[in-house]
Amino acid sequence: MPTFKFFDLNVHAYPETEVPVEELIRVARRYGYAGIAITSYDEVVKGKEGVQLPPSVANFAFRGIEIRAKSVSELKRRIRLYYGKVPLIVVRGGSKELNEAALKNPMVDVFAPPYGEHEKVGLTHVLVRYAAENDVAIEFNLNAIIHSRRSDRARILGKMREILKFVRKYKAMPVITSNARSIYDLRAPREMVALASLFGMQKEEAVHALSDIPEGILEKKWKKRREVEII
Amino acid sequence: MKMKRAKCKTQNKFCVLRFALLLPPTLRERRRYLAFELISEREIDKRELLKEIRDSIYSLYGDTGASESKMWLIEYSKNEDADGGTDRCRGVGILRCAHNKVEEVRAALACIHSASGVRLGIRVIGISGTIKGASRLTATVKNEKWKVQKSKML
Repeated sequence: MPTFKFFDLNVHAYPETEVPVEELIRVARRYGYAGIAITSYDEVVKGKEGVQLPPSVANFAFRGIEIRAKSVSELKRRIRLYYGKVPLIVVRGGSKELNEAALKNPMVDVFAPPYGEHEKVGLTHVLVRYAAENDVAIEFNLNAIIHSRRSDRARILGKMREILKFVRKYKAMPVITSNARSIYDLRAPREMVALASLFGMQKEEAVHALSDIPEGILEKKWKKRREVEII
Repeated sequence: MKMKRAKCKTQNKFCVLRFALLLPPTLRERRRYLAFELISEREIDKRELLKEIRDSIYSLYGDTGASESKMWLIEYSKNEDADGGTDRCRGVGILRCAHNKVEEVRAALACIHSASGVRLGIRVIGISGTIKGASRLTATVKNEKWKVQKSKML
């Protein structure tokens, strides 16, 4: 069996939670990850480049920014602010207009639909198509499944199933993330695959969404081509 | 001598009886043993953990799914010597389930985020067909921890 390099692209550390980066990295290493991305909220870091990581973990932990904007213009401004400075830009979705603006923007790396919140996830098949065109990965946030129960979980799983259907149809990139806010929220890769099977993801798909796709996103494998074209 | 013989006889009888009561191999259920590791904020009882695992399986798969998985907690032991020195506790345990429900039980274990208000995370170390094999897996993790502890103390 080939060995995979697993990555978790959405982990929250010290500035917004009380967990230091080192703790998260230690637990993630133990669980068998090849790398994690520490995504800080942009309201917390305010224009700076996110968490300062010690050089010893440079090829294990990656810096990222999670943008939570309220309007389209604000979103665009913030993406332009961080683009090029940070290896990973994640945009948290919201209203339909906001989602559209995020998915049409090739500067965005990962789009995170708001599964946990009560509002409607405005992610239609048209928007997923934009995501496939602009190489924006769509996140499946497993923390939402872990931390909800009964009707809430049923709703979230149903939504994920629907989005997975669109992702398969338009060949967009799915990414499985833990969205961990403490070391207790982290799950080992095999557990993540088992959780992904709850909303109908095949094992191979889930492994792909945990290993090859995140690695490609961090290396900007698919984006590079686009940049050359623009220049 | 007499005593010994008598003992042997009774033992023999007992063995025969036991084998008669055992299910024939063709009817025995196929099981898998999951060796798991747990990290938590505070120490957790075996009873609390079992309750939480059951709750998780029932809420994920319902009554029929839970009956099919045939889940049973074989053993759970707390490890007092948690490494790192923070207020974290570790424990290892073995869980039994039906051989075709391993992934389901794994998902149910991954869905557990807290037990009686204590945050925790479970990782499956490995799966085995026998308790002996599973306990070997847990033993490796225990030894590993001990090494970490020792090197830190030095």
